[in-house]
Amino acid sequence: MNTLWRTEWRAVGTTCAAAVTARSQDEREVHRALAAAQEEVAACERELSRFDPASDLSRLNAAGGGWTPVGRRLLEALGLAVRAREETGGRFDPTVLPALVAAGYDRSFELLEEREARRADDWRAGTAIELDARNGRARLEPGTSVDLGGIGKGYAAGRALDAMLVASSLAGGIVDLGGDIAVRGEPPEGGPWLVAVADPRRTGETLAVLALDGGGVATSGRDARRFGPAGSLHHLIDPESGESALGGPLTVTVVAPDPVAAEVNATTLAIAGLGEAEAHIAARPRISALYVPHTGPAVPLGRLPLAAERLVVRAA
Amino acid sequence: MQRIWVVVLSVWAMLAIVAVLAWSSRPVASPPPASAQSVRVVTGPGGKQHLVVVKAPVHATTATSAVVH
Repeated sequence: MNTLWRTEWRAVGTTCAAAVTARSQDEREVHRALAAAQEEVAACERELSRFDPASDLSRLNAAGGGWTPVGRRLLEALGLAVRAREETGGRFDPTVLPALVAAGYDRSFELLEEREARRADDWRAGTAIELDARNGRARLEPGTSVDLGGIGKGYAAGRALDAMLVASSLAGGIVDLGGDIAVRGEPPEGGPWLVAVADPRRTGETLAVLALDGGGVATSGRDARRFGPAGSLHHLIDPESGESALGGPLTVTVVAPDPVAAEVNATTLAIAGLGEAEAHIAARPRISALYVPHTGPAVPLGRLPLAAERLVVRAA
Repeated sequence: MQRIWVVVLSVWAMLAIVAVLAWSSRPVASPPPASAQSVRVVTGPGGKQHLVVVKAPVHATTATSAVVH
C-alpha cells in the first residue's frame, strides 16, 4: 500500500509543507526527496527574496540600472514574470516594488512598523526588465525595482516538486508554500488530490474542497498581511494607481495547470471586480477560480474542480 | 595500562550508545494527512436548509499565506 510521508518547515516567511507518496517503504528515499524539496525552496529564497539584502534580487534592485550577474532561478522567474505582465495586460506587474515600499511594506511582514503611507510619486508601471540568459545576468531600467511576491512562491513550489519527484519509486507529491500549492502524481489512497480552500471569514473552517490530478493552486487576498494605520492597507498594489487596490474580492483561489500560472492569476484577480474576474477566466479555459467577495456567497468561475462528495456551499 | 584500556573502551561504548540513540530519535517525516472540517448545506423536509458538518480528509489547504512570527 502507498504511504504519504510529509514534513513541515518554515521558509519564505511562512509555513511550508511537502509530502510524497511512496510505493516502497524505503525511508531513505523518502527523506532524500523531502530534503530535496526543502533545499530547493531555500535555494529559491536565496535568489528571489527581496528581504534578504544578499539575495540576487536585492543585488539586482540595488544595481541602479547596471547589468548584474544573477542565478538561473532568478533569471527564469523574471522571464516568467515579464511574460505574465504581457499576458495580463499589465494587471500583474513585478515592478510595483517602489509603490509597495512607499505604501509601507518595506521589510519582512513580521518586522513592519506602523507609519504613514505615501504614494511613490516617481513610480510608473511597466518599466523594462532585460534578461541575458546566455551570460547569466539581468538589468532593470534605472529607477525600477522588482518584487516577485506575486509569483515567487508558486515558482519555488513547482521547482521543489520537481526536485522531490526525481526519485523513480515515488508515485506522487505535493508542495505547499503557505497556500501556494504544486501537485503531481498519485495520492496514497488513489483518486484525486484533495485541497481544502480555507474560509477567509471563519478562521479554521473550510469553504470548499478541490479535487486535482495535478497542477497548481494559489490563493491571494486581503484577509491577511494588512498593515498601516488600523490595518487599512494591504499588499495588493493596483498597477494603475500605484496604491493598495480598492476593488477586488476578500480572497480568490485559482486552479491552473501549474503553480506559477495559479499564483499569477490569483494575484491578478485579487484586484479585480467580479465582472472583470469572470471575463478573465472566460478567456482562459485552462484556469478556474473561487472568488470570495467581502459579503455574500463565494462564486465559482470556470470549471472549478470541486470534490463532488465534499462540495461545500455556505449559506450567505 | 589495563585501566587506560578500560577507560578507552568505556568512552567508545558510551559514544556508540549516544550514536544509536541519536539515530533512532532523528526527526522523521510524518505520514499525516490533515483533515479539514467542512460544512455542507443540505435541503431538509419543507425545503429548509441545514448546515451539516462533515470531516473531509485533505492533503493540503490553500489560503492567503499567513505570516510566521
